[in-house]
Amino acid sequence: MKKSLLASVLSLSMIFGMLTGCAQAAAPAAPADQGAKEEAAAQQEESEDTADDAQSEGSGDDVTITFMASQDWIQDAEMELGEKFTEETGIKVDYQIVPSDQYESLLMTKINAGECTDIFGGQSSKFSIVTQFDVEKNAVDLSGESWAGNVDPAAADELSVDGKLYGQPIQDVSACWAVAYNIKTFEDLGLSIPTNYAEFCDVCDKIMAAGITPIYECVSDGWHHVCWTEAAIAATQADPEYPDKLNNNTATFEGNKELTTMFTQLKEMADKGYMGDNYMSNQYADAPASIASGEYAMVLYNQGLGTEVNAADPSFDVDNIGYFVNPLCDNQALNVNYCGPSRFIFSGSKNVEAAKKYLEFMASDESLAYMTENVGKFNQLPYTNAPSAYSKVVQDFYDRYPTKVAVFQASVKYYNPAWMDIGADMSAMYLGEMTPEEVLKDIDRLRAEQAAADSDPAWQ
Amino acid sequence: MNKNKLYPRYFAFGALIIYFVLFFLPGLIGIGYSFTNWSAYSDELHYVGMQNFKTVFSSDENYMKIIENTLEFTLITTILKNVIGLVLALLLTKSIKLLNMHRGIVFMPSVLSTLIIGMIFKSILDPKSGLLNTFFRSIGLDFLAQKWLVSSELAFGSVMAVDIWRGVGYIMTILIAGILSISSDYYEAAAIDGAGGWAKFRYITFPLILPTLATTTVLNVIYGLKVFDMVYALTNGGPGKATTEVLYTAVFKKFGTGQYAVGTALSSVMFVIMIFVGIYMIRVMTKNEVVE
Repeated sequence: MKKSLLASVLSLSMIFGMLTGCAQAAAPAAPADQGAKEEAAAQQEESEDTADDAQSEGSGDDVTITFMASQDWIQDAEMELGEKFTEETGIKVDYQIVPSDQYESLLMTKINAGECTDIFGGQSSKFSIVTQFDVEKNAVDLSGESWAGNVDPAAADELSVDGKLYGQPIQDVSACWAVAYNIKTFEDLGLSIPTNYAEFCDVCDKIMAAGITPIYECVSDGWHHVCWTEAAIAATQADPEYPDKLNNNTATFEGNKELTTMFTQLKEMADKGYMGDNYMSNQYADAPASIASGEYAMVLYNQGLGTEVNAADPSFDVDNIGYFVNPLCDNQALNVNYCGPSRFIFSGSKNVEAAKKYLEFMASDESLAYMTENVGKFNQLPYTNAPSAYSKVVQDFYDRYPTKVAVFQASVKYYNPAWMDIGADMSAMYLGEMTPEEVLKDIDRLRAEQAAADSDPAWQ
Repeated sequence: MNKNKLYPRYFAFGALIIYFVLFFLPGLIGIGYSFTNWSAYSDELHYVGMQNFKTVFSSDENYMKIIENTLEFTLITTILKNVIGLVLALLLTKSIKLLNMHRGIVFMPSVLSTLIIGMIFKSILDPKSGLLNTFFRSIGLDFLAQKWLVSSELAFGSVMAVDIWRGVGYIMTILIAGILSISSDYYEAAAIDGAGGWAKFRYITFPLILPTLATTTVLNVIYGLKVFDMVYALTNGGPGKATTEVLYTAVFKKFGTGQYAVGTALSSVMFVIMIFVGIYMIRVMTKNEVVE
């Protein structure tokens, strides 16, 4: 009897001990001795001295904010500024850069699990920040921040819900995904800028005949090859009501003439060898070096490739890269998109004030000037206090295409959240596992899934 | 049997409560959620019957392909890890020079992070600049330079090969322990009777390490059904729609897009598969066990 009593007591104390150990501390443990008490008091004083910094977070020295973003969203220049920010405020910044093909799943899992980093990177879009990120619940309202009024109205619109600003743009959204080409190669081969798909194919054939791979494409990243679908603006031009019809669920992707042509032409480009042998395994980060090597003549890129190629090979002239619009579907309009990677502060963060300080620092005149100066693809960051750095080549490109049409990411609901899935579908199309028509049908399915999960009345 | 020698049942209660609360209960709740429309987009929860399971087994979706991939991965890696592990274990229980060094080299991949191995092999298997294809090209075997991770024919095989390379050392180590526990008397007696190497393996080693093989098989099957990190790091389910997609990467993606209910339905299907496979394996493996 004694034995069983002892066993019961031991078992109960074991369970109690374990539950106590697992319990979350409601308050900091009391210092064990007087010395510790004094140290804690000193720390408290120091904390109070740091004025407006989050009092509950302790002194700046103790705060480390975490910032998770997709590969290519955090530039070296930003990390250099992050070091300066730490010097000035004592707040450390832990950058968590995730491979782009894995980022979206990881981010959404973290957000949905309520365990996200203090700051997270996400694509802006007035539709997807609601349907995908649910920013009203998962992000902090930044409308009252000192820099909020400086954000370009078009970019701010893509980051706002009911007039409240929830994000801060990271990149230059004036730039668009256009075909960047090696001007010297074009001149050597006597080529001119194509104005339709047939001319583009002719250009590619001549480049291939010269022993150069026409297009650098990188499917393995999962997102870049989907940028070609910005030629879907051809469907908007053919029927300006088409995006609204898609949003009201009165039209589908499947069966659309322009979109079918677009995917068919993309498949044709791959089949004809315009993208070379390794387009499935190439990586976006290697694009500048690949263009610098002369192995490739063109790549779908934003308007900063010249600087990046020059950084990869200083003998390559910055102005040796020109641009023309994505020629699929004979498109000749500029595909504008005021959506882009942005910083959001996670509403569950314990370091909201410190994170706000970081965002304020990044939106300062000095930081914006530093980013524009040191990141080749940043010509005009979307802030009224950011400097402009358009080169003649870039300005010529924008001037050449006066018609501007908003891309689907900005105008069509549930398109942006399906981006990586569309990438997987396109990858299957390149491998011959899906036809262009099946890809379009699957985009309808993906959008319907998102709409159903969102209880969108148009899909009821 | 002297009942006083048995520990009382309540000794197991602590473990049972912990297991029930932390493992069994979440599993049951998960199955419950798979009959709802649980998602990240709405705080409301409604019963939707078998809707999520219909989605999982629908011909419009590719979940059946994902389940097939998972079972194929489990079957092939289990067989090959056991076979190669056994061969290595037999070789590395002989008297050879630098025995421990050889064992250490084979075992080393098992202690490395799977994600790091995945990243390294992604680089090694790069078709253009990867170490493997560069090596083949340098010795004139260009035809062997393949698109290991980006062709629909080779990607799944490549992922399995890397996983086998990583896991075989662990299996080998367990089997070495099994082989070394066999008394040398059997081999001496067999040698006196004129038995050769094959006969000794066939009639002594193999039957006596069957319980160890049963253990390694169970470990491999459980690992295979739950594989995630290796596939995630090497291909993330690609190339294409679901060439190398397995159940856990699919569940991860469903949770990533906030479609929790479909994710839990998929997990529930996995749970049922694991129960059946587990019961079958335990029955088969314990049927003809040889006790020394």
